[in-house]
Amino acid sequence: MIDFINFHLIPGLVLGSIYALGAIGVTLTFGILRFANFAHGEIMTLGAYLTLTMMWLTGWHPLILLPVTMVILSLIVIGMDQAFFKPFRNSPAVTVVIASFGLMLMIRSVTQFSWGAQLQAFVPGIQRPNVFFDALRISPKHILIVISAMVLMLVVHWVLAHTRIGKAMRAMSDSPELARLTGINTELVIKATWILGACMAAAAGVFLAYDSHVSTMMGFQILLPTFAAAIVGGIGRPYGAMAGGLLIGVTEELSSYAWLGDGPLLEPGYKAGVSFAIMIGVLIWRPSGLFRGRVF
Amino acid sequence: MMKTFKQLALASTMLAFVGTAAIADEIKVGSVAGVTGPIAELVVPIVAGRQMAADQINAAGGLLNGDTMTMVLADSQCDPKAGVDAGTKVVNVEQVVAIVGASCSGATNGMVQSVTIPAGVVALSDSATAPSITDLDDNDLVFRVAASDAYQGAAIAQLAWDQGYRTLAMTYANDDYNAGLAGVFEAAFKGLGGTITSNQMHEPNKASYRSELSTLSGNGAEGLAIFAYYGGSGIAIMRNALEAGLFEKFLAADGMFDQSVIDQIGADVLRDNIMITQAASDYDDPSYVAFAGAFEATGHSPQAPYAAHGYDAAFLIALAIEKAGSTDRAAISAALREVAGPPGVVIRPGEWAKAKAAIAAGQDVNYEGAVGNNDFDGNGDVTGLFSVNVVGADGKWTGNLIR
Amino acid sequence: MDQLYGYSLYGLSLLTFGGIYAMLALGLNIQLGFTGLFNAGIAGFFVVGAYVSAILSTAPSERHIGGFDWPIPFSLVAAMVVSALIGWAVARICMRLRADYLAIATLGIAEILRLIFKNETDLTNGARGVSYIPKPYESLAQPWNHVMMTVVVLAIVAVLYFMLERARKSPWGRVMAAIRENEDSARAAGKNVDRLRVQAFVVGSAMMGLGGGMMAHHLKFIDPNAADPTTATFLVFVMLIVGGSGNNKGAIVGALLMWTIWSATEIFTSMLPGDLAIRSAYIRVFLIGLMLQIMLQKFPQGLFPEKRLETGSSG
Repeated sequence: MIDFINFHLIPGLVLGSIYALGAIGVTLTFGILRFANFAHGEIMTLGAYLTLTMMWLTGWHPLILLPVTMVILSLIVIGMDQAFFKPFRNSPAVTVVIASFGLMLMIRSVTQFSWGAQLQAFVPGIQRPNVFFDALRISPKHILIVISAMVLMLVVHWVLAHTRIGKAMRAMSDSPELARLTGINTELVIKATWILGACMAAAAGVFLAYDSHVSTMMGFQILLPTFAAAIVGGIGRPYGAMAGGLLIGVTEELSSYAWLGDGPLLEPGYKAGVSFAIMIGVLIWRPSGLFRGRVF
Repeated sequence: MMKTFKQLALASTMLAFVGTAAIADEIKVGSVAGVTGPIAELVVPIVAGRQMAADQINAAGGLLNGDTMTMVLADSQCDPKAGVDAGTKVVNVEQVVAIVGASCSGATNGMVQSVTIPAGVVALSDSATAPSITDLDDNDLVFRVAASDAYQGAAIAQLAWDQGYRTLAMTYANDDYNAGLAGVFEAAFKGLGGTITSNQMHEPNKASYRSELSTLSGNGAEGLAIFAYYGGSGIAIMRNALEAGLFEKFLAADGMFDQSVIDQIGADVLRDNIMITQAASDYDDPSYVAFAGAFEATGHSPQAPYAAHGYDAAFLIALAIEKAGSTDRAAISAALREVAGPPGVVIRPGEWAKAKAAIAAGQDVNYEGAVGNNDFDGNGDVTGLFSVNVVGADGKWTGNLIR
Repeated sequence: MDQLYGYSLYGLSLLTFGGIYAMLALGLNIQLGFTGLFNAGIAGFFVVGAYVSAILSTAPSERHIGGFDWPIPFSLVAAMVVSALIGWAVARICMRLRADYLAIATLGIAEILRLIFKNETDLTNGARGVSYIPKPYESLAQPWNHVMMTVVVLAIVAVLYFMLERARKSPWGRVMAAIRENEDSARAAGKNVDRLRVQAFVVGSAMMGLGGGMMAHHLKFIDPNAADPTTATFLVFVMLIVGGSGNNKGAIVGALLMWTIWSATEIFTSMLPGDLAIRSAYIRVFLIGLMLQIMLQKFPQGLFPEKRLETGSSG
């Protein structure tokens, strides 16, 4: 039983927190700009590499550098929006999604060109876990990741619930026509959406790199689980994205627990398929997701 | 600097005159490698090894009548589609006389079956290790200086047994290289009387392997045998296992052989706890010393996986061209066996002038490369040497040849 | 002379690869171009077709299931049928989804399919792949083996093209266009929209399976890496968008053109010195992405804009 908590539940929570942060950006873009942004994974990767570069320059802890990364990444993402997404504000979703494919390839090749394909680590060496009650093993970095993620999610909640711009974002997600009629500055709301999404993507990228390592494909590798988290939670529902992320992360790790007999329930080779299967199931039976998001 | 400038000038001239005949005093050899794709990080030193061979040869008189040996790079991406396309380009557009590569077994399989065997071009791979390449129906056109996994898998099993391991857990990344190696290892270790408590494949490039490791760790395994590329999943698995306290002892093969494993996990943790076999060379052998000194001067680690193989492959092709006395593709493939094995004047890395003189005098040559004697068997395979590597006092890998 | 001969052989290779990609692009054109179905799982149908045709046509082998020695035309038909069946199942499940949901769902399904081929080692030899796949006319002497392979591929593309052009101009094609332009009015006109969409999806999937099968025969080897989403899905999208979504001629020209650009750029980048040649491999991908952006923004209709038919039924 303690193995279950140590090796399946806790890693699932850590992974889930990372998915959740990524999914917040996906779900906001999906809800407000109305397209699935395939470049979101590469934005997370870029966040990790920016932090890594600053660590080389300053030698500071990645979590201290995270706010700086968020600012830089937000500026980059707003630039991308102006260059590659703004021309398509009134185009069909298919066109914008294909544009985001193109952007994904471009960011990835720039990352590979600038930083090379070599694997990097934030902090070399390994961290032994703290042992509680003689059995419960939790690594300090996992505590840090989960707590930081929770704090960031609270910030997102506060922005959406209590600031003018946050309320405008929610209004636009619920009904763009109505929002426009009531005089909301849509371009401003779109900017705010990108900034919030970019900040959460930076955090997701940095936490993922902090937990494992930095590689040029890391963002793309968690893109589909992130989409799955956004859909499972309900599109345009940041709280849903958080819940969806945790659900997907925990389920992925639990799928290979020995629920029946000795062997893993699902061959670990298929672990990557778990999130897709959940997502497809939700799309079919409850397309609005757990939190009753929008269905387009 | 001057050289770079000349190459640039050459490149721009070629860009301007595509369609005109190749420059007269240039002999092109294809250099096919998975530049992008899953093993991108491994490929850089391999390509550098091939290039160093060509540079040395050009500095020491060049091929045949002073012709320049040019390595033409093409990207096989570890994808058979790209392998076939890359092979077609170097064979037909660049008119290469022979090919070094491709890197991954899958891309190599596609390239040789679809392009180079029908075209009659010899392909000498420096890093494709899949057993399936051994029995290709290849008209003696497919060779490799990398030993088949069938040898390395057995070598690591024997090593584990000799070190006193009797029960092991194992996991392998599901790709063409590691799956093949793991299969051989499992059979060989069981054949010695060992027990594999659990054998699991895993999908590379996942963020966490903790749940897989927890399943693997039961049943009293003394250590974990990892078959993975260090970048794809190897380091992540080791880190997860150590951090969770599930395994302390590791065995691995050359996909894990890289300084970054020590740099990222920490030398103190790994010292006395890890053994990595590597397709390697006798580090005291004069051939290896000659290669290593020169390669280090180019800014690469001579121990990088398959870099020495890349060098040997390119050097062997050059010897075959020299021996054939022409750029005829059939003559080159026929000459490859002769220059690789005895009898003949022993040629070591860097000894191009000596080889050229010997061949000009009508003598046989026998290349004793940085990775071993490189004598091809009937299938165009080599048996290869393996070293066992542990973490040394200086925090670097130190290897000893398995005798 | 040798050089010219070499260029000709490379030209044949470009036509063969480009032609196979044209099958994928034509399949996507039925789904995306005609009907507006955003299938981002091309790689999935590609890999199914490739493995089905490969395993049915190879000689018996211990490495994977069977080896059934079927003649290539039969194995290709089987590849189309199996891909179509999977396409039908996917369509039945996912057809109600809006464009981007469908894209994400199909992308996920393609990944699951690739995982199955990778993990079911007993059936497919897993990551180690299937070797010795027969190739049409491979026993002929060079260059005739290459010539005949190219002829076979282009003949299939030509047949597909004429069939699709007929379909597009038929009442069926008009209804498809009507559904894409205005689903509600098509529904109001009494058309069974969902059923017609499923039909388009199934036909497109079958063509992708055919493309996958042809690719397996051309490569003579197939492994799960060949279903990499960058070259098996995204590249096909770029081809169709550049050529002109909704136009069959555009799909074919786009495939041939983009494959040529994708492949031939390397001839130049490989002339760069040392490290730059290695890094320039990434620049190729960057340029493909940039080209897609420029096409989308400046020439959204592609090289061959869709020829609108008089769609009388939708009013």
